[in-house]
Amino acid sequence: MTRKKVKLAFITNDSARKATFKKRKKGLMKKVSELSTLCGIDACAIIYSPYDTSPEVWPNTMGAQRVLAEFKRMPEMEQSKKMVNQESFIRQRIAKASEQLKKQSKENREKEMTEVMYQGLTGKGLQNLNLGDLNDLGWVIDQNLKEVYKRIEAVKKGASTSSSSSVAAAAAAAVAAAAASQAVPPPMEQKPAVVELGLDPMQRTQTEWFTDWMNSNTSDQHIGYGHADEMILPNFNDNHNANVWPNNFYP
Amino acid sequence: MTKMSKESNLLVTFSKRRSGLFKKASELCTLCGVEIAIVVFSPGHKVFSFGHPNVDSIVNRFLTRNPTSSSSTTCQLVEAHRNANVRELNAQLTEILNQLEFEKKREVEIEKIHKAKIGKNWWEGPLNELEHGELEQLKLGMEELKKNVTKQMQKIIFVASNTPTFFLGGSSSSNGDVKNIKGLGLSMATNGHTSFP
Repeated sequence: MTRKKVKLAFITNDSARKATFKKRKKGLMKKVSELSTLCGIDACAIIYSPYDTSPEVWPNTMGAQRVLAEFKRMPEMEQSKKMVNQESFIRQRIAKASEQLKKQSKENREKEMTEVMYQGLTGKGLQNLNLGDLNDLGWVIDQNLKEVYKRIEAVKKGASTSSSSSVAAAAAAAVAAAAASQAVPPPMEQKPAVVELGLDPMQRTQTEWFTDWMNSNTSDQHIGYGHADEMILPNFNDNHNANVWPNNFYP
Repeated sequence: MTKMSKESNLLVTFSKRRSGLFKKASELCTLCGVEIAIVVFSPGHKVFSFGHPNVDSIVNRFLTRNPTSSSSTTCQLVEAHRNANVRELNAQLTEILNQLEFEKKREVEIEKIHKAKIGKNWWEGPLNELEHGELEQLKLGMEELKKNVTKQMQKIIFVASNTPTFFLGGSSSSNGDVKNIKGLGLSMATNGHTSFP
């Protein structure tokens, strides 16, 4: 295996290029051979290089001619359907890699924001976050809140005796009862706190979330951050109004 | 090494190996500037082929035993143009693969942080391990956090929309035209590499 990563460009050093060619050509022929044997299929490979007048051929000239004759016998359309050259092949690779990148980035972003959410719960400030960060954070909170509501609902449904005697628990139960009458979550299997979410929902709902919020505030021309009581908070969750809940727990 | 026995494995193996084979061929062409053609029949008797500069020219050259014929100026121009395209595409591919590698490393880092915290904070654990009181507390905490996030966002927008230089046109309007917010470059994109202290 290589120790150094090879740059995907023409090797300008002549001897290095020739050495690479010999090695890789050997490896390529081996791979064709393996593919043919393992899968029981016909194949051939032809390599023209400046180092040889005649081409390097797998399996051999006769074998290759046979395979190519079979190839030529096929209808034109069948031949071209899965035919690629450098340009089209690299484009395909770019498309595939882009998809993977997009997916990976989103997953990372989500996990990162979940971490930020946890820090936020313990009181860490939001000053260092830009608008995009806050937007994503808000979305992650929403997704997790949905799961929390569902879990609370499920617990209440499953709870037989369970009642604790502390005041806090009783108050929490009353609050939860009020929540139950408002929230109508669809039945879903319980998930852990960190929700694994797919590619598209995050993108679509981010915009929806923000658009809803912006639309609900266009009529109010005096958005003052010093006047928290007067602010109109949007309803992110159809079944739930954030204004109702007391905020005794966190200063 | 013999032919694989299970049909389903065979198809998967064929697919993966064929893809890898073409990738190796593509790299060989790029690195060493050679001309290649590979023709492969699938178990389902479909035919896949890779060729540089293209399958047909190499196949015909081989079958007719013709030495290279592309010496006319037009051919050379076409070839130069094509090579430039390929160089460009390879550069693009390299860039994306590097970014992908970066994101994968990032995932590992994030996972490390996450693993180190297992069991420490009850509110970070799975929901079905929380008691009712804890769930309620978590819920309220998250709702409060949500409110604060909204407040912070509104604060930023308010400050930005009241800065005269914000609107490209010049004078700031107290109307707070929602459509102009897009000029802020709101990063809805999720592949930003924002890191948090």
